[in-house]
Amino acid sequence: MTMAGQQRSRLRKVRIYGVLIALLGIMMFPFYTMFSSTFKPESEIFSSPATLFPNDPSIEAYLAVWGQTDVLLWIGNSFIISLGTVALTLLLAIPAAYSCARNEFVGKRSFLLSVLVVQMFAPVVLIVGLFDVITSFGIYNSYLAVIIPAAAFTLPFNVWMLYGYFQTIPVSLEESARIDGASQLQILTKIVLPLTKPALVASVTYTFLYAWNRLLFVLTFLTDAGKYNIPRGVFSMVGALQTDWRMMLTVSVIGIIPLLILFAFLEEYIVAGMTAGAVKE
Amino acid sequence: MGTVEEYTEPPADSRLERGVHYLWQNRLAYLLIAPAAIFLLSVVGWPIFETFRLSLYRSPADAAIETYVGFQHYVEILNSDIFYQLLWQTGRWVLLGVAGKTLLGLLIAVHLRGDIRGRKFFRTAFLIPWGIPYAISAVVFRWIEHPQYGYLNAILLKLGVIDQGMGILGSPDIAWLGVVVADVWIGTPFMAIIFLAGLQSIPEELYEAAAIDGAEKWHQFRYITLPQLKSVILIATLLSTIWTFVSFDVIWTMTGGGPINTTATLVIWIYQVGLENGNLGRGAAYSVIGFLFLMAFAVIYLRIYTRGGDEL
Repeated sequence: MTMAGQQRSRLRKVRIYGVLIALLGIMMFPFYTMFSSTFKPESEIFSSPATLFPNDPSIEAYLAVWGQTDVLLWIGNSFIISLGTVALTLLLAIPAAYSCARNEFVGKRSFLLSVLVVQMFAPVVLIVGLFDVITSFGIYNSYLAVIIPAAAFTLPFNVWMLYGYFQTIPVSLEESARIDGASQLQILTKIVLPLTKPALVASVTYTFLYAWNRLLFVLTFLTDAGKYNIPRGVFSMVGALQTDWRMMLTVSVIGIIPLLILFAFLEEYIVAGMTAGAVKE
Repeated sequence: MGTVEEYTEPPADSRLERGVHYLWQNRLAYLLIAPAAIFLLSVVGWPIFETFRLSLYRSPADAAIETYVGFQHYVEILNSDIFYQLLWQTGRWVLLGVAGKTLLGLLIAVHLRGDIRGRKFFRTAFLIPWGIPYAISAVVFRWIEHPQYGYLNAILLKLGVIDQGMGILGSPDIAWLGVVVADVWIGTPFMAIIFLAGLQSIPEELYEAAAIDGAEKWHQFRYITLPQLKSVILIATLLSTIWTFVSFDVIWTMTGGGPINTTATLVIWIYQVGLENGNLGRGAAYSVIGFLFLMAFAVIYLRIYTRGGDEL
């Protein structure tokens, strides 16, 4: 490469990193406002115009939040709802996906297509009918009233994700186990599922995030404040007559910490799940 | 499993018997999909049916006194001004939102492509806005746009763009813009990740050849990146269109559809009328109109997705 060429490619590098860092700054700015506000003392957070850096940083808000809000309860409820949704979805999706991957039968194509259509049917458009049905089930105001619809709307992604993955596992592995006298259930749990780990991790992460993040179902089907999850808790604080912004932002920070941990460890699986449907090879 | 077993019995003579026999032969396959199928039928299928049924009834909060009114809800909706206002606001919301997410996503993706040190870090960081609760993002943007204490006003004042604080979300003229910004921020990471995956499947040789020919950066983008990325962009914008169309949590948390309904979209109105006001019948009729839009999107999506027919 010529000197001029080298210089050009170095300039190009600088430009690319410059743009990336600028974009990152824009995308991180809301987080910055959230974090920096929680480190301001009460007098400073309600000063106008806002100070861009806390003048006198303190962790006061993080000490007060446990007593002044129900943040621990909300996090606990978020875990109950998210883990419940994950369990129910997998329990339904694994057998269905496995059956479709291993058998040809009348109705398979319509089943898979209608599952895809459910994916299109966003819950909010169904919310009026769903409200009627949830009340008929007699589960209104219970965790199940949130877990059941959340499982229904994460099921399509899970069925398709696992269906695609099961197809890549050679049938020969299962056949030799069958010759050794293993039952269908044993083959699924002992041989197939361990090989499906990457897809399962992607499924679990997607479902967990979906249930953790959505406000709609909790807003509509839970009126008992003791069962609120994090989004609903935050929403209840902003809906109050006098919004306590400092406490609310502190709750928000605490509410996303479990997710940040999840991202740090499982980023690749999340990305794999996100791109599974949209990018065809 | 069913299909592997040899079928030896003589063919059954009646259609019904043959059908029953087929089911029996494939019983395991059907048994395994049955829970999921029954679950979806009752949790999604039944509500769809209920929505259609309810839309034909005048049904106040107390469902016991509902009365059949036929298509009256639809007639009233089509004759109301708010419906056309909602269509316009929904169109504006979707178009601006999808355009913003697509452009920002592309911008991020093309810069993350190639030999970037710390790409994993950048990718994770860019991903975060997508993965946190929408309600939290919404309150953070409410905070940023707060008329007295917000950071946006503070910055604009410092830069001298404005000389006194402005209330964005309280203004019927610009509140919609304040909400679109939050939605674009939330939706951009998905687009960036999808585009990045698409970009990485473009053969490097194409760019090398173009570089030798001395093609400008912009020309490379225009004549290599865009055509190669076409199908990915198509799918991603369509998905984004659907998700933006049905986006609820952000608007509901930021403005609740106000001020004076200027940030309401069709799905916000479904919730407002059907659940907040307790007018299930009218809300259901709006839902059916929402279904029609989704059906149109779904048909296009399935067309693209099953193109070539190799997927099923």
